[in-house]
Amino acid sequence: MSPSRFDELIHAPTRLAIVSLLAAVEWADFKFIRDEVHLSDSALSKQLTTLEEAGYVEIRKSFVGKRPRTSARLSQTGRAAFDLHVAALQEIVARSGATIRPS
Amino acid sequence: MNGHPQPEEAASALAAIRRQQEQVIDAVLVPAWYWPAVGAAMVAIGAAVDSHRTVVLAVVIPVAVVALVAMTGAMIFGAYRGAQVGSQLLSERGAVYIVGFVWLVVGLTLGCAFGLRAAGTPWPATIATALGGVALASGGPWLMRRLRAIMLRNRAGGTR
Repeated sequence: MSPSRFDELIHAPTRLAIVSLLAAVEWADFKFIRDEVHLSDSALSKQLTTLEEAGYVEIRKSFVGKRPRTSARLSQTGRAAFDLHVAALQEIVARSGATIRPS
Repeated sequence: MNGHPQPEEAASALAAIRRQQEQVIDAVLVPAWYWPAVGAAMVAIGAAVDSHRTVVLAVVIPVAVVALVAMTGAMIFGAYRGAQVGSQLLSERGAVYIVGFVWLVVGLTLGCAFGLRAAGTPWPATIATALGGVALASGGPWLMRRLRAIMLRNRAGGTR
């Protein structure tokens, strides 16, 4: 059986959406994340700060020309935590004999 | 299991993860316009070469090359979409598809160009790049479908 660990911090719906998105990419612009998970700037900023404080997300601020650009990526810790969380969810589902609806 | 979700909630969270990642994969795939645009730039270069006119060569080739490099660079580094697809999703299999497709188009284009030139056909570069362009425009979307399928398999909770 693969290791698993349910993660309360990741499981919150908004953070789950953000971490799921970041797990699929190397990095993503703040605007890209905001548009994909349908959050306001302030709500996304708050959630990213929470994830950054947990060591799950790395935030990089840079300039493209004169325009500031903020991007985020999942840290190795965050990626490992997400993989363990997904494994924990799969384990819960498997134990109950339920199935996941295809997306 | 204190604080852990019920199986229905866990299944729902997994479905949400899958949906979110599918949405991201669709968003970071190369858009459909890219392939005919690159094909058109190739044909412009081919036609310029066949024209044998210095002014045409001096204007068309730098413009087309800059357009090709800018479009391809934006696709590779994700600048156009605001995110770069994760290499763990693409995997070696995806990389083999991409490299194979590029070699196929380049080989087809150069092979045709040299073959037509040797046969004395007029406008060999234009015809060859037009063939390459058609291969890109028709094969590009096919490649994207293959890569999408690979990435969906490799996403979290996929059928690995």
